[in-house]
Amino acid sequence: MIIAALLGNPNVGKTTIFNSLTGSNQYVGNWAGVTVEKKEGFIKGNIKLVDLPGIYAMDTYSNEEKVSKKFLESGEVDVIVNIVDASNLARNLYLTFQLMQFNIPIVLVLNMADVAKNNGLIFDIDKLSKLLNVSIIEVVASKKNGIDKLIEILQKGNFLKGAIDNDYHSLNEAEVYLKIEGILGKVLKKSDVRINFITEKIDNLVLNKYLSYPIFLFIIFLIFNFTFSWVGKPLSTLFTYGMNIFIFKGAENLLKSSSPWFSSLIVKGMLGGVGSVIVFLPIILSLFLGVSFLEDSGYMARAALIMDKFMRKMGLSGKAFIPMMVGFGCSVPAVMSARTLESEKDRKLTALLIPLMSCNARLPVYALFASAFFPGYESYIILSLYALGIVLAFIIGIIFKGTLFKKQEEPFLIELPPYKLPGFKNLLLHTWDKGKGFLKKAGTIIFSVSVIVWFLSNFNFSGMTDINSSLLASLGKLITPFFIPLGFGNWQNSVSLISGLMAKEVIVGTMGVIYGSNLASVLPNFFNPLAAYSFLVFVLLYTPCISLIATMKKEYGNKMAIFSVAYQLVLAWIVSFLIYDIGTLFMR
Amino acid sequence: MSICDLKVGESATIDFLSGEEKLIKRLLSLGCTQGTEILLKNTAPLGDPIVVNLRGFSLAIRKKDAKGIFVK
Repeated sequence: MIIAALLGNPNVGKTTIFNSLTGSNQYVGNWAGVTVEKKEGFIKGNIKLVDLPGIYAMDTYSNEEKVSKKFLESGEVDVIVNIVDASNLARNLYLTFQLMQFNIPIVLVLNMADVAKNNGLIFDIDKLSKLLNVSIIEVVASKKNGIDKLIEILQKGNFLKGAIDNDYHSLNEAEVYLKIEGILGKVLKKSDVRINFITEKIDNLVLNKYLSYPIFLFIIFLIFNFTFSWVGKPLSTLFTYGMNIFIFKGAENLLKSSSPWFSSLIVKGMLGGVGSVIVFLPIILSLFLGVSFLEDSGYMARAALIMDKFMRKMGLSGKAFIPMMVGFGCSVPAVMSARTLESEKDRKLTALLIPLMSCNARLPVYALFASAFFPGYESYIILSLYALGIVLAFIIGIIFKGTLFKKQEEPFLIELPPYKLPGFKNLLLHTWDKGKGFLKKAGTIIFSVSVIVWFLSNFNFSGMTDINSSLLASLGKLITPFFIPLGFGNWQNSVSLISGLMAKEVIVGTMGVIYGSNLASVLPNFFNPLAAYSFLVFVLLYTPCISLIATMKKEYGNKMAIFSVAYQLVLAWIVSFLIYDIGTLFMR
Repeated sequence: MSICDLKVGESATIDFLSGEEKLIKRLLSLGCTQGTEILLKNTAPLGDPIVVNLRGFSLAIRKKDAKGIFVK
């Protein structure tokens, strides 16, 4: 088994090449002890390819660089596959020179050879290969040109070893760059084509003093509409009908002759629980498609740039903006995408603030209450909740920044890659990458919790019963006093909120079971409008769902997971309390 | 003078870097070495961060960090 390490700068197309080489033979995990993703795959069975994070150098103290260095020093690696951006060669070769220190053969892959050509850059590949003493191959990964040849080279073995003399250890950055300039001078022929002309023109608009924020808001508006009005939501509705007709009715029929508790376990417990979450898949995938498009096209870097000033007030950088946006879809992939942030403290703070970006799952609760209590003003009510989440994120960020997360500000450096139209296949791949995290949680945690909630709501100590006298109801009655000052203190609401720990959408389902199916007309008997709003605020802010708690635990440990649960409960209680009680005073 | 003193569209050569050790190392590994030509390409709408261009690529950096890039 040949073991190959895949290395390169960010934005060079490493992921695309990794996917092309390994197909679906991939495994994703974590490097031991750090929140750095470890990706492994197999090329035609006999080559193991380990994808290392995108880095610029091997010695500037980040976790990504440490992990890569450790792996290369381990003695396991037979060959390094170094992807460089042919249209941006100088800086890319800096990493190459750093890699030569490890005395491992290098295969240099010049990706984006087409972009280089369009920019008038012509290379003497043979000369470059001789000067660096590495095998070189030109590739256009987006079109899959050269990938087969690359696989051939890797399978043939017999690699040229780069850097026969290990003098590169002693050179500092300036000296390495001088060497690179010397080499490029000998192998590069530049014609007089203006480089990245279109990118310049677009940036003049996108970063323009007057147009940048309107353009930004417009793009966000497009994405949210795509998700909630044009594509995502309609598909979700279709899913719901489909599930009801085919899956639920189908299962009920199949189980007609089995004992009622078993049928209930399967249909109401397992299918109901998981199903109520799965119908959100179209909405979530739509949002992720939009975010992936922004990332792959290069616009996200610009968005991070214009949001940086605001994010700094929260104690974060512009780079944290992307995970926050993903959080409006589902917090689970959002917290995972926070891994791209440089410092552990930034990642933790972002992970704590993400749940305040009102996720998709809460929407059915908002929609139900808004139409039951504030007909005609639904959009305003829902928008106010989203806005409240954002405002609180700022406030909490400022508080945390001054106390728990006090640190020196990390330098903010982000490359602005040239704009490009994302390849359709890659776009889908990136979207799915984000969405599958959500789906996996649905299939595992939510499935098991659904069964538990089903059990608690159908049984008490004397056997099977209905929900009003179940264990869950007893639990609900126990915690009801907690909610009385908030205006919605009864056991039914308590139980619904507990079920919301599993997945926020389930709150509506549980209320349907407890209060009866015509919720819109039943609810006004149990809430006044102010209490309804207070309830919605509580739903916005309280403890994240089990999937997110599990993710927090996995990424940041037990302490963080517990802290996240606790601070959100406290925050939810305080804000709901203020709204209900101050509101009641006003209404007198 | 520092790169922050340039006007948008102006270029200069890097003289030396000053500032926090980690930042300097990162800037150096990205190619901000002495004698490198660097261009102030753009600024964010509110003036901060700024966008510089060197060795064929564009990099966004906060003014407070860019102040340490001295040019001539």
